[in-house]
Amino acid sequence: MTVPMISMRAVGKSFGAHQVLRGVDLDVLGSEVVCLIGPSGSGKSTLLRCVNFLESYDEGEVRIEGELIGYDIDKVGARRLMAQKRLREMRREIGMVFQHFNLWPHMTALENVSEPLVRVRGLKKAEASERAAAMLKRVGLAEKAHTHPQRLSGGQQQRVAIARALAMQPRVMLFDEPTSALDPELVGEVLEVMRALAADGMTMLIVTHEMGFAAHVANRIAFIDEGRIIDEGPPRHVFHQSKEPRVRQFLQTYHDRNAF
Amino acid sequence: MNWDILIRYAPALVGGFGVTIFCWLMGSAVGLAIGFAVALAAAVPSRALKAVLRVYVEVLRGTPFLMQLFILYSGGPAIGLRLSATTAGIVGLGLYSSAYYSEIFRAGFAAVPRGQIEAAMSVGMAPIDILARVRLPIALVAAAPPIINTLIVMSKETVVLSIITVPELMYQMQTMAAETFTAFDAIFAMAVFYWCLVEVVSRLGRRVEERATAFLASR
Amino acid sequence: MRLSVIFHSFGYLTQAAGVTIALSLAGIALGFVFGTLACVARFSGKPWLERLGGAYVSVFRGVPLLVLLLFVYYFLATVGLDVPALVAAIGGLSLSSGAYQAEILRGALNAVPRGQAEAATALGYTAFDCWRRILLPQALRISIPPLINEFILLIKASSLVSVVGIAEITRVSMNIASMTYRPLEAYLAGGLFYLAINLSLAGLGGLAERCAAGGAR
Repeated sequence: MTVPMISMRAVGKSFGAHQVLRGVDLDVLGSEVVCLIGPSGSGKSTLLRCVNFLESYDEGEVRIEGELIGYDIDKVGARRLMAQKRLREMRREIGMVFQHFNLWPHMTALENVSEPLVRVRGLKKAEASERAAAMLKRVGLAEKAHTHPQRLSGGQQQRVAIARALAMQPRVMLFDEPTSALDPELVGEVLEVMRALAADGMTMLIVTHEMGFAAHVANRIAFIDEGRIIDEGPPRHVFHQSKEPRVRQFLQTYHDRNAF
Repeated sequence: MNWDILIRYAPALVGGFGVTIFCWLMGSAVGLAIGFAVALAAAVPSRALKAVLRVYVEVLRGTPFLMQLFILYSGGPAIGLRLSATTAGIVGLGLYSSAYYSEIFRAGFAAVPRGQIEAAMSVGMAPIDILARVRLPIALVAAAPPIINTLIVMSKETVVLSIITVPELMYQMQTMAAETFTAFDAIFAMAVFYWCLVEVVSRLGRRVEERATAFLASR
Repeated sequence: MRLSVIFHSFGYLTQAAGVTIALSLAGIALGFVFGTLACVARFSGKPWLERLGGAYVSVFRGVPLLVLLLFVYYFLATVGLDVPALVAAIGGLSLSSGAYQAEILRGALNAVPRGQAEAATALGYTAFDCWRRILLPQALRISIPPLINEFILLIKASSLVSVVGIAEITRVSMNIASMTYRPLEAYLAGGLFYLAINLSLAGLGGLAERCAAGGAR
């Protein structure tokens, strides 16, 4: 039994008085694709951001390949914040793709991808550029290497963002509603890249509203509502066989239920 | 700080403060009035008028306040304009600030959402009523924060009036400093005094800004 | 009005204009250093540094420049420095400008979308690299139009250093006025020089603003 890539146990988080996550348990095994779905405000994005500690969780544990992230247990067994250096090292192995791409506008597509390789992985500029070019080719944007993000469509920008995360050769990729900010006709090209990634065996944890994609690509779906995972399982189970009323109510609003 | 000296000069200092406030209020009133008139006049569809007003604003904003005061006070007599220092100070502050206020009012009117004006037109309101009941109130709310900021800036500009011998606070302080050889202490006191004043008024100003932004956002 | 006075003073005023511009350049350059330090302090996350930065901005925006100039002048005189006038002038201008530049930079940093720093953090960037490679380059680009405006304000503010006797435009105009007994012409001439400098700068500023708007959409 191998150690899960991501392991979450009893994860809890509050923003002031408002409790956003309550006792979340979730595992993502190597090469698995897990999709997090649920209504807005359910805590899906917050949970995702706890995995690379962009959000700090208050209770429970998040482990990446068995190692606790964000916190250390000191000699007396108390918990304190992890050293920044180790946190950065762990973050290198986790790739993240954001809803609003977050590309850096003062750099070209190629520079966006090569910059972290130089700055964080310590590669020489030439090697970084080479790897970046190869990565852009992989997402189908080789000819846009010297274009600035402002001149790219949303779908192209998101693909560059995926290339940027991928170039770091992470062990796991996190996607925070990667297609929610895109025009409908641009969604397909991004999903295609993600599908190819999954086929290559990347471990992926995806927050999404794209039910069709989730149905066909995910190994498992987890449904979150009000900070709790109320159902989990293969797509077939969650989409068609769920006994939870909240899940059925939520899926009712997806007209293309019959499509998957 | 020598308290005896302070007590001895207290009347002069208080008087000076009174002059400062007087010049500031009068100058700002003049500036707001002229600035408002200029903003309204700029809406008149006359190329020549717009050009004249443009020059007016650019000259007053493009030259130092001190220079303008010198021209009024020292240069005035050459063209028959003999103003007292205080009058020159008020006129100077009024003209200088009017250039800023005119731009603020212009921006305030531009900030009125087109939709609100169209709504008024579509119910058949007369242009003068639209101006008075729809455009003016909204423009004034939009203009309020920058007006308050400019009022604060102008209050600090009043110290420049001391250079043309207007007997405001700075002038009285310098007189006291010269007569009693307490230059350093006096200037230090001035600095603290102005800092406190500006800080207090700025905080009030920020509150006004919050209310104004909330008001405009709700529309 | 004797126009000949205006023409004869051109030479002196041109030289004085050089002094005005030099003073303002020194003021804005040094002010940039102060402003950046204050801004970084306010973003540092350490409470005492944040309060120090905030105090600097509050004090030097609250105290009028004239008061500040005289304060530095008299303060340096008590300490016994050799060139008090020039040091007082540049010191006063730069301390004052620095406070305003700190605000400009703060506004610019706030204008950079948060997500960009987040992407850097998620990739494992150190805070230093994030600032150096992502935040500051963009903030500086955004700051250019307001900084040009600040330079214009500094050119005007420099007229106050005439009180410590430096031979910039205002002081020279005052000298010409007292020498020729024609104050109106003298001050109008000085005003013209300020106007020329500031209108050119405003033109430059407009250009910079259009470039900035076109480049970073």
